[in-house]
Amino acid sequence: MAEEFASAPHFVGARIPRTEDSRLLRGEAQYLDDIQIPNLLEMAFVRSPYAAARILSVDSSAAWNIPGVRAVFTFADMPFVLPQNGPSPIDQPVLARERVRHAGEAVVAVVAESRYIAEDACEAVHVAYTPEEPVLDMQAAQKDRPRRVHDAAPNVFYHQEYETEGFQAAFDTAPHRLTMTFQTTRQTACSLETRGIIAAADPFSGRMTVYCGTQSPHRLRGDLAEMLQMEEHLLRVIVPEVGGAFGMKAATYPEYLAVVQAARLLRQPVKWTADRVESFLSDVHARDDIHDLEVAFDQRGQIIAVKDHLMADGGAYASYPFSGAIGETSLAAKVITGPYDIAHLSTVIDCTYSNKVPLGAYRGVWGPVASFVQEGMVDRIAQFLHLDAAEVRRTNLVQPNQLPYRNAAGMLYDSGSFTESFEHALAQLDYTRWRATQEQARRVGKYLGIGLSNFVEPTAMASSEAGSIGYESCSVRVEPSGTVTAWLGLGPSGQGHETTMAQVLADQLGVDLEHIVVLHGDTDAAPLGGGTGGSRSGPLGGGAAMQAGRKMRERLDVYAAHMLEAAVEDIAWEHGRAHVRGVYARHVSLRDIARIAYNDVRQIPSGLPIGLEVTERYQPPRPVSFSNGTHAAVVEVNPSTGQVTVLDYVVVNDCGTLINPLIVEGQIHGGVAQGVGAALLESLVYDDSGQLLTTTLMDYLLPSAPLVPRMRIEHLVTPSDGALGVKGMGEGSLIASPAAIAGAVNDALSPWGVSFERLPIAPRDIVTSLGRSSAAPV
Amino acid sequence: MNEVPVTLWVNGQTYAVRVSPRKLLSDVIREDIGLTGTHVGCEHGVCGACTVWVDDRPTRSCLMFAIQAEGHAVTTIEALAQHGQLNVLQQALHEEHGLQCGFCTPGIVMTMEAYLHEHPNPTVDDIRDALSGNLCRCTGYQNIVAGVQKAARVFAQNSSGATSAAGNESTHLSEGGREYV
Ligand code: FES
Ligand code: FES
Repeated sequence: MAEEFASAPHFVGARIPRTEDSRLLRGEAQYLDDIQIPNLLEMAFVRSPYAAARILSVDSSAAWNIPGVRAVFTFADMPFVLPQNGPSPIDQPVLARERVRHAGEAVVAVVAESRYIAEDACEAVHVAYTPEEPVLDMQAAQKDRPRRVHDAAPNVFYHQEYETEGFQAAFDTAPHRLTMTFQTTRQTACSLETRGIIAAADPFSGRMTVYCGTQSPHRLRGDLAEMLQMEEHLLRVIVPEVGGAFGMKAATYPEYLAVVQAARLLRQPVKWTADRVESFLSDVHARDDIHDLEVAFDQRGQIIAVKDHLMADGGAYASYPFSGAIGETSLAAKVITGPYDIAHLSTVIDCTYSNKVPLGAYRGVWGPVASFVQEGMVDRIAQFLHLDAAEVRRTNLVQPNQLPYRNAAGMLYDSGSFTESFEHALAQLDYTRWRATQEQARRVGKYLGIGLSNFVEPTAMASSEAGSIGYESCSVRVEPSGTVTAWLGLGPSGQGHETTMAQVLADQLGVDLEHIVVLHGDTDAAPLGGGTGGSRSGPLGGGAAMQAGRKMRERLDVYAAHMLEAAVEDIAWEHGRAHVRGVYARHVSLRDIARIAYNDVRQIPSGLPIGLEVTERYQPPRPVSFSNGTHAAVVEVNPSTGQVTVLDYVVVNDCGTLINPLIVEGQIHGGVAQGVGAALLESLVYDDSGQLLTTTLMDYLLPSAPLVPRMRIEHLVTPSDGALGVKGMGEGSLIASPAAIAGAVNDALSPWGVSFERLPIAPRDIVTSLGRSSAAPV
Repeated sequence: MNEVPVTLWVNGQTYAVRVSPRKLLSDVIREDIGLTGTHVGCEHGVCGACTVWVDDRPTRSCLMFAIQAEGHAVTTIEALAQHGQLNVLQQALHEEHGLQCGFCTPGIVMTMEAYLHEHPNPTVDDIRDALSGNLCRCTGYQNIVAGVQKAARVFAQNSSGATSAAGNESTHLSEGGREYV
């Protein structure tokens, strides 16, 4: 693709440390809670102590009497909702309206001079409730038992069925069938920085400025305008530094509306920052899936047909704009066969309401459970047939000559390296050696297991938790002095877009990295774009940067050709200078061109506009492009303590062209660590009355450094046919890793005949099930 | 609640502030003194994002009241980069891509900087143990460990010119996973 570049690509593909780092390392970056605005008031919420209750009365008189309290709001004061159209007709009120539907739902908002005072005042608000029976079990909820969460709608808010033609015959006539139920408990993104928002009238323009760590700045602006009935052009959203988001910060939340409305009503700046307990009670939860599965296969382990009932507990409301339950199930149903060639599929989806926190996006959305189901099913087949787990995978993998491949759900895998990545992973891991070691270890009473996980990762989709804008935008301006400023509509939270997008632009423009600055997350400056989510920023944002860069270069080429009296085709760029190809002595600098473009405009070559500014929008040629890869894990399980130690971890990843391998690897490391958490630690636990028991980091355990394995990563490159050949890759590592770890644990415990089908697998689960198991280890 | 006068000594400067006795050291550093590099991730002592030094010892500023810091020397992340130049550990974390969103980073730098002063030749497992009180949701720790190893090597070279144990560990580990039986 060399002809796409001004000069040979120097920057795309290079391991370049990030431009973002310096301000972060020095502690100078400004996150939401670091922003200081004069007269800033703080908001705190009175949250429901019940999972389900009627609100009888709210008495806030004592709160008003506390010095420093400025306002106490209920729904009556801000009667706004997050609307739900489409399959789920139930709106989510900004503050609870008559009923509360999950523990932690915001009921009253207090605004005070400081957070300390606001919290004091919250304690002084008296809300009287009549508790109702909570709906907590998703399978009972499907039958509206014990009752409906919302009187106006059945609990099942999304139901879908799909079946390939000839499914039943294929299923019925298959030599073998197995039944299994896979489950993931509730988990959550748990970014280290909590959510927050500031709304402040801009004293210069009189408009409202909103600071918020959102993944989709333009969408949030649109949402606020629509829901609060404001004019969109009178709103400005600025995304400050964001301390992790992982899909969870893509949603528009009730608190956001409450803060903006409070700032309007009080005519004073207002801030809300969640404390950690509030995060657990109000950030969207994720996962919480059940898959009732039947699989039919032949004696070689070739899978013939899969039948899956997918269920997800959506919580009290469909999170806006992306219902996690629908995302978890409908996307899983489309890729539940993974990279395996399975002809027949039958899926039924049921998403239900419950009296729990709304379900939303968390990195990988549908993926961790789909991989867990798909790899678990392959392992169970291997066990049943006494075949090697790797062999059964080989039997089923989509072969290179089948690509592009349309899976049983109708999804087109545009390209990939399924067999290659699998074989490379086995070789990297030294699979045969570990199998031998496993045998030896068992003889001395040590239990090792190997887990294999092949994944597909649909990326760069038109619609994701970031919204449904199927393109990304980039504006580029060559400044009068010849340096370059670019703006994108992205909402990054640590992915390094300031570096990667500059790399793309640098190659397109033939300028050095330090002469480019990439800005994002300000709706006043950035062109309207979708935002960051669904692994779209690399392929779509990168595509927009490439296209804008190329457009700008075409204009610069005309200038250079004109000034150097050469043909446009003979112009080449390097280090911010254009020269006539092969004749370095004949050159002109970007600075010279910029001076003409802005200041000496009579010299502009005819046909070109004044100035050097372009805005381009990039829409990929396909609705989705698939990344793929293989994860392989070796673990040791201590049968008496249930402790799992990861001994080795290999990743083979194929996301097409890599813009910056250093950043890609960082994304993989982080995703695998989250996968270790998902497989072994992380669980949001509700008790029988609907109380969330895990509301601190002492109860909801995140993986710490000693638990996370050292990973070895190999890249394969099967380019997409989109811009630069880039595919997305933000989620694959968390899609594949829980399955790899869980598979390894199950493999280690195979002498007991124990196999876990529920995540996470905690030490307690292991000890208990080994104690119960009658099978004696070999 | 009544405010009381407190004199704090932060990064070598004296600050006279009036704060409520219940106000956390983390909040006073961030709000009253205006040094927002110290982050708050949990406010209950688990994540380590709020780590500062109190008399050169890494301390969770969310677990201390500001009034308890009177008479002690407090050091925050802002004091580490001299004249805007990253220090050895900061530079190594940059080169090894040991940070993504950066929210955990100040706490990690404060923890590991102090650790390296006391343990100049850590093994990889030592580093992971020393990091265990600092949560990072983005990096999976691998590149943080690599950055700390690199910083340890630079320190060792600066002080003796000899190759450090950390250097050996890293060569060994980059070849593959852990040895077993
Ligand atoms: S904020 Fe102090 S340990 Fe988390
Ligand atoms: S870099 Fe984001 S939490 Fe560590």
